Amino acid sequence: MELNEIECASCGHVNPPGTQLCQSCGKMINSDYDKKKIKDLMRYDGSAIRSKTRSRSIFDKIWIFFTSIKVGVSIILLIAVAASVGTLFPQEYFIPVGADPLQYYTEHYGTLGRLYYELGFHNLYSSWWFILLMGMLALSIISASIDRGVPLYKSLKNPRAKKHPTFYRRQRLNLHDADSGSIAGVIEGLKKKGYKVKSEGRHHLLEKGRLSRWGPYINHTGLILLLFGSMLRFFPGMYVDELIYITEGETVQLPETEGEYYVENNEFIVDIYEEGGSVFDETLQNTNEVITSNYQTDITFYENQNVDVVGAQPDLQKVEDYSIRVNHPYRFDQFELYQSSYDNSQMKSMTFQLEDSNEQVIGEPFTIDLDDPDRTYDVGDGMEVNMRAYAPDFVEIDDNGALISQTPVATNPAFVFEVTDGDSSELSLLQIMLSTDITQDNEYNVRFVENENHMATVLTLKKDLTLPIIATGFGIFLIGLFIGSYINHRRIWINDEDGFSIGAHTNKNYFGLKKDIDPVLKENGYDEIFDRDATDFDEGVIIGEEK
Amino acid sequence: MKKQTRNILRVAIITSIVVLVGVTLWFNLTSDSQAVQVGDDAVDFQLETLDGGTVQLSEINEDRGVILNFWGTWCEPCREEMPDMNTIYNEGHDEYELIAVNVSEGEQQINQFLMSLDEELSFPIALDRNRDVTKAYQIGPLPTTIAIDKSGVVVEKQEYQLSVDDIYNFVEQSTSE
Repeated sequence: MELNEIECASCGHVNPPGTQLCQSCGKMINSDYDKKKIKDLMRYDGSAIRSKTRSRSIFDKIWIFFTSIKVGVSIILLIAVAASVGTLFPQEYFIPVGADPLQYYTEHYGTLGRLYYELGFHNLYSSWWFILLMGMLALSIISASIDRGVPLYKSLKNPRAKKHPTFYRRQRLNLHDADSGSIAGVIEGLKKKGYKVKSEGRHHLLEKGRLSRWGPYINHTGLILLLFGSMLRFFPGMYVDELIYITEGETVQLPETEGEYYVENNEFIVDIYEEGGSVFDETLQNTNEVITSNYQTDITFYENQNVDVVGAQPDLQKVEDYSIRVNHPYRFDQFELYQSSYDNSQMKSMTFQLEDSNEQVIGEPFTIDLDDPDRTYDVGDGMEVNMRAYAPDFVEIDDNGALISQTPVATNPAFVFEVTDGDSSELSLLQIMLSTDITQDNEYNVRFVENENHMATVLTLKKDLTLPIIATGFGIFLIGLFIGSYINHRRIWINDEDGFSIGAHTNKNYFGLKKDIDPVLKENGYDEIFDRDATDFDEGVIIGEEK
Repeated sequence: MKKQTRNILRVAIITSIVVLVGVTLWFNLTSDSQAVQVGDDAVDFQLETLDGGTVQLSEINEDRGVILNFWGTWCEPCREEMPDMNTIYNEGHDEYELIAVNVSEGEQQINQFLMSLDEELSFPIALDRNRDVTKAYQIGPLPTTIAIDKSGVVVEKQEYQLSVDDIYNFVEQSTSE
């Protein structure tokens, strides 16, 4: 590409390097350029695209690399492909809580799953290379916009009305008529259609919808804002999304609040739809399923007055009671607590009944709280049951006779009970389904009656300070899209220097432009405007530029 | 646009995007691994002990090194290393204190475990009922043992069972100046 300034052979104006059409008169001055690429030429009225002129420092080289449309499209393609691959297997936040991701992906999806994990697809949106791609996209959008926006601004800011006759002939829509008598009428007619007129002597430029040209730049601004907002989500304190598991009756510290807030789960409620004169009756009769109408957690919200040392007893001050329902979160500071799900799989207590060897019931049933079991249970009739040992998740009996538990969670409880009537006592080992006598010839039998499970609510703690930015970004993006798509930039050049000449250009919708021009021409006694492309269709031949 | 303005703009935009992406990546990578590592300052905490008292790390750490042993009764390596720790602790612990932090178990379970041991444990057992301390130190597997020197810096960390040699090493590390 030539780096020299170009002097227009026709009018003598000195143009910057890379210019295609003379900035002054509009005559084509760069003969290297494929003359048939008229549309490309007209985008910036033939002025030079910045990046295509010089390359010097490393910054210039990076800049020029990213201004390329090819590079931009490649980045977008890469992002699209990565995002699609990321949907092949579930993302990490969809796999069971607590599962080791590497193990989970390998077990469920084999080698591909392992590769998926190793390459970071399991956490696509926060994998380093995806973030890098997003950064490159941002750079591509910004650099391409500036490089094209500046010449666009220049070409639109102060357009020249005076153009060379070849400029007219090069337009898709043009017309020449020897009679220039009705030029004032044509201008007046177009003015009525909302065109703004700029005149330079006998040359006139009529223009409307210039805003359309800024559509892509507006929507790029929106995109950049969007990217910025999603970037902020990685910044500490901007975005929180955490599951909180609270068993009924329990009070837990809320994460991300530096120990300042606590929530107590007073009760978790599931309401179902019942028949009874409501509009839902018919539906309910047609289904056998139980349909839930409401999931609700009644909470008490506390503030900790003793935010001091980790682990220290909190000094809880009640703030208020609240019922969290689906879509009705509890709000505090910038946080929201949503109802997410519930869990009743954890065992809370087991109830037993003492019997004699003839299966005769002795005394009252007794209930063992599995989280905090008592040592002694008085069942009445002078009988006592002592719990000698307890394993929440029983696996085996140790060499020294201790019960060994595999986990601290009550999934397979086992007990050693000592039944005593005051004089003698006997021991037995009890698992959920199995009872083994430890002492010989036991007289009494402890029978499992029932168990009760914990009702736990699962809440989601959310905070998102980036939402206003992301929403604004989307808004601007849509406005830009609308402006770019539905507004047309229409320009008409008219002069009566040598008869009546008219040429017209638009960035989209030539049909609409013709509908603007033709009636006005007709009123003033001219032919319909010549449309090169339409003629192409009619005659099936490509007509050269110089008609 | 002047050439100078253009250059400044290019350099400014490229630099700020590189910096922002860098910062984002840094936040992203550090958010996952906030576990207390060797070289970090120990997080101060205060917990109740099994015998009804309280321990506060900063108080003990004033003039002695500290070994924190996070454990559970259901964890086999924890059970196995306890007697060794006790033996070495009983050889003398003027220069350091050992705190066995039980992770969120009921007192019944802890007492049941202690009863099954041949000898009584001499070091204090702290009760981390709500896992506050476990979370603050981002403890993963049990047992995890951490040595803190007299200046309050974590100097050693091990996420599996301690051998006798390991325990001596922890004692040495925690008492080093």
